[in-house]
Amino acid sequence: MIASKTWREIRWMGLVYLLILELLLIPAVLLWPDIYGDLQRSGLLKKVDYDLIRSITEGITNRNEEIAWVNWAALQLFFKGVNLAGLACAVLVGTGLFARERESMTLEFLLARPVSRGRILWQKAWPSALVVVVPVFLANWSAIWWARSIDQDLDFWPLTLCCIHSSLFCLMFLAFTTFVSVLCRVQGHVAFWVGGIAILQMGVYLIPRLRRYSVFRLSDFDWYGPMLAGNLGPERMFDLVHHAGNTSWVVLATAAFYAAAWHALRRLEP
Amino acid sequence: MTNIPHPEPAIEVEGLCRSFGGKQALRELSLTVGRGELLGIVGPNGAGKSTLMRVLTGLVRRDRGTVSVLGMDPAHDGLAIRRRCSYLPGETSVYQQMTGRGFLDFAWSFHGAVQQDVVDRLQELFRLPLQARVRSYSAGMKQKLAVLAALAPDVDVYLLDEPDRALDASVRHDLRTVLRDLHGRRKTILLSSHHLGEVETLAGRLVFVVGGGVVPQETVAAARTRLARRLRLRLGNEVVLPVGARVLAREADGVLLLETSEHPLQWLRGLDAEAVLEAEVGVLRLEDLYQELLAGART
Repeated sequence: MIASKTWREIRWMGLVYLLILELLLIPAVLLWPDIYGDLQRSGLLKKVDYDLIRSITEGITNRNEEIAWVNWAALQLFFKGVNLAGLACAVLVGTGLFARERESMTLEFLLARPVSRGRILWQKAWPSALVVVVPVFLANWSAIWWARSIDQDLDFWPLTLCCIHSSLFCLMFLAFTTFVSVLCRVQGHVAFWVGGIAILQMGVYLIPRLRRYSVFRLSDFDWYGPMLAGNLGPERMFDLVHHAGNTSWVVLATAAFYAAAWHALRRLEP
Repeated sequence: MTNIPHPEPAIEVEGLCRSFGGKQALRELSLTVGRGELLGIVGPNGAGKSTLMRVLTGLVRRDRGTVSVLGMDPAHDGLAIRRRCSYLPGETSVYQQMTGRGFLDFAWSFHGAVQQDVVDRLQELFRLPLQARVRSYSAGMKQKLAVLAALAPDVDVYLLDEPDRALDASVRHDLRTVLRDLHGRRKTILLSSHHLGEVETLAGRLVFVVGGGVVPQETVAAARTRLARRLRLRLGNEVVLPVGARVLAREADGVLLLETSEHPLQWLRGLDAEAVLEAEVGVLRLEDLYQELLAGART
């Protein structure tokens, strides 16, 4: 019952999120032929002496249009689309899970039901995870169809790998937001802390010397580009010993945040 | 067939302590509620009534003391206790976005069985528009919904924190009838309320909680004895009070609250009958008793 109640409350967010992802994706795909032409003619971006922009520019202005297209898709679909809309969705969905119950004084009612707190967390966690994860797959799989209309290809399996990684990255933020939602009494405070930390991390990401300390390195353009090109498979995504294993770090962080949320919920007194 | 009382009380609390920050909410609180008993708890705001209920349901941990509900410790068996208890929180807890029917289905889905006759009875009394969203309900309607959600499950113990809050007098009367009915089914009920007189008529036993602890019965008895020598009196102009009484307070409309050294009726004989406009003797107001205990606790 808790799961169906949670699902009823947040399913519309999933629909809006899917719509936003789709709206970000369609023009990025359909305008690619014109954009590629412009990029070939213009040398402006190539003169920007900033490593982040330079690596993106080198990817999307490649003389080989197939390589340029894959980098463009990685940039637009995942580096921009999912990171931006996905994180916003994760924070919006997660803030209300417990803090809103406290704010509206229904948490005491919920905790007084004959159901364990672990079960309460689980029944709130999985519907919210579905809302955050499913639109990432649906929207980005639709890009395969849109790309055909401009005579470009996106391979299903590499695209799905990107979806897995990016949706796990959003899930990590959802888990963190859920944890903070258990700790805070007011929904606005959750948004303040999680939003503040996300902005701080983004700020760190934009400073070249500090970038490696930002959590956004786990969901970077130079991660999605090779993955979408088919050069970075599951063995490198999850291998922490021989490769970066970013996906494993994201999974571990997600598990840690949910464990922290469970621990905090067990100790919570209404 | 005879009903053999269960040897073990439904609720047993001994030396219960709990503090929040520097404030001690419960101080060496001890009480016992027998199986099938309806016990009323009265006390001022912040006396610890709600904290006690939360400890009993396992929602709040205790610092010290022992607690047993149906033979189980809420600190370890909270889930098992909540399966056999129904708890109505002190703050009205209802989901605004649900319909009344949706909320009841949600609340009852966690319990095994619902007493349909209680549901029908309460719904007949409350007449709630269950198809409407809860957000459109008045404060009283929300409280009625919360009461309906709490009283319908077929459990052994009902922990009701101010169930009559925001309810008008006629609904409170109906609610008392339903509670009596539940009590008649040998259900254990722990009830806190601010409508002191009504709790006294309903509960088999009354416990006063002041400053986080239960006021001893001897203290209550002594306070009752003191109150028995009090009277409220409204006199005509320029009437001199006979000796043997002292004025405790001057209330609104010139009413004097007096304490007499002998029985108030005896003392009243010393007054000219024409001079007494209004007199109230021998009515033990629970509110007075409450104030007396509070004053005693403060000193």
